[in-house]
Amino acid sequence: MNADGIVALVTAAGIELTDRRRNAEGDGWSLSFANGATVEVGDDGSARIAGKGSKAVRGLLDLPPAPRRV
Amino acid sequence: MKRSHGLALFSSTLVLFAASAASAFAAQPGDPPDGITKIETVVVIFAENRAFDNLYGHFPGAEGIDKASQESLQQRDRDGSVLSELPPVWDGLTAKGVTPPVTQAMTEHLPNAPFTVNDAKGFNVPLSVTTHDLWHRYYQNQMQINGGKNDMFVAWADSGAMPMSNWDASKTDMWAVAQKYVLADHFFMGGFGGSFFNHQWLICACAPYYADADKSPAKPSISVTDDNGTALKIADNSPKSARDGIPKFVSDGNLTPDFHAVNTMQPPYQPSGTDPAPGGDPLLADPAKPTTLPPQTEPTIGDMLSLKHITWAWYSGAWQYTLDHGNKSPVPNFQYHHQPFNYYANYAPGTEARREHLRDGGLGGVSFIQAIDDGALPQVSFYKPQGNLNEHSGYADIEAGDRHIADVVAHLEKSPQWPHMLVVVTYDENGGIWDHVPPPKGDRWGPGTRVPAIIVSPFAKHGYVDQSPYDTTSILRFITERFELPVLHGIVVRDRAVAAHGEPPLGDLTAGLDLK
Repeated sequence: MNADGIVALVTAAGIELTDRRRNAEGDGWSLSFANGATVEVGDDGSARIAGKGSKAVRGLLDLPPAPRRV
Repeated sequence: MKRSHGLALFSSTLVLFAASAASAFAAQPGDPPDGITKIETVVVIFAENRAFDNLYGHFPGAEGIDKASQESLQQRDRDGSVLSELPPVWDGLTAKGVTPPVTQAMTEHLPNAPFTVNDAKGFNVPLSVTTHDLWHRYYQNQMQINGGKNDMFVAWADSGAMPMSNWDASKTDMWAVAQKYVLADHFFMGGFGGSFFNHQWLICACAPYYADADKSPAKPSISVTDDNGTALKIADNSPKSARDGIPKFVSDGNLTPDFHAVNTMQPPYQPSGTDPAPGGDPLLADPAKPTTLPPQTEPTIGDMLSLKHITWAWYSGAWQYTLDHGNKSPVPNFQYHHQPFNYYANYAPGTEARREHLRDGGLGGVSFIQAIDDGALPQVSFYKPQGNLNEHSGYADIEAGDRHIADVVAHLEKSPQWPHMLVVVTYDENGGIWDHVPPPKGDRWGPGTRVPAIIVSPFAKHGYVDQSPYDTTSILRFITERFELPVLHGIVVRDRAVAAHGEPPLGDLTAGLDLK
């Protein structure tokens, strides 16, 4: 999954993209959405979701739930 | 600080003016309309993201799609040529998870014209279904309006044909309310673009500001525009035709080149999409995050009302629920950037003003409805439905929000305060959806696309279509005149700009009322 694909899927669900920038390492994109979710998407297709709206965004991207903290 | 000083000076001038007018014992230009004091309670209900033609394009007596010229119905490609057909709705017309879906393939080869989503002979998607969201952004909205021709909505969209969609809403509850009271058919959104910006226009008639943004975490969010400053600079790798894909821009950010925030940024206070800083104050949003807007200090209509000791409140659906439990999707799907006062230092956590004026509307609006039923509304109320009830494309459907708002209106009609009430039901912005009427030419911030507005009151002209030119600031004009408030700077600038373009002045909603 690439950054453009993630942006298209999430914004189609009414969750605005609020920030998009190359990450500090230069190996991917950092995306922020209006519901508070952030997605770190690597150029290798990896995706890491965090923030308040992460559950909704994870569902839109068909990614498995985040592992529970113990 | 400079603006506050200017406001104080302006207020003093106003006091002098008021004194001299009173001594003249005669109506003066700029005086409130006769009978305006019959309105004692003002309620503003702010729904989401529908252009006028999208819902009321076939309303009897209104300037709807039926009255649009053939030229205004046709969309042009990015090179200015007329499209031979509409591009498909990229990724499909219905929202993810909707069954049966209307896929991208099913939207191929649509004629270059508006289409009705719930047309039984077409897609036949009911009003209860959530559809694909569309770009609704500050610069794109100006590019789509294209100087008033409204022929580039598809060209500068991210959703292909979707801007040309509309609905047969003639069976909705709010359609019936509009038939009973007043439908304003020339009401335009106050600012270009999206919800964040238009909520600011509802309360402040201003563009928020991010000082020294070029030295801040938000620096990469500064937009790159063309020489006119009204359109984004197109990227070299942008598809040349709307039929080939979504346009790309050099930098499509939240800030103008001179640091005004025009697209969605997060409130500096909780509830905010931005978490608190690690180890920081849990009531604040992390200011180091690039999407956090610093606290704003421009005077708002709330400040003006408080100045004159007029009671007021912003009721937000699911406000307290979200503070207590966090947000949940799809219900209530609280929207952080739909809470405009939460961006202002005057309403920061811990202030008396916040406690008094930023009120919980309750889940599904139950607390707001309780206040209505009890006759306990302040003189001015703003009501923001929670996310799943606001009619926003992508995460809400029209039917649920329409029914909710009509239910609120029904409670208002039975309220002890109803005999002296004015209710305005409108939409914050067009949601990226096409409308055929050119907006009045104003200042650099707006007005933008036409949106529906319904004026409800025992003093409303019944069964009336009000063709007066209005925008979101018309609500502020009414409140300002009714309660004799100092005029917000943005309204003065808008008035001057509209006059300079030779446009008729924007009204104060009283043309829809019979106050005699």
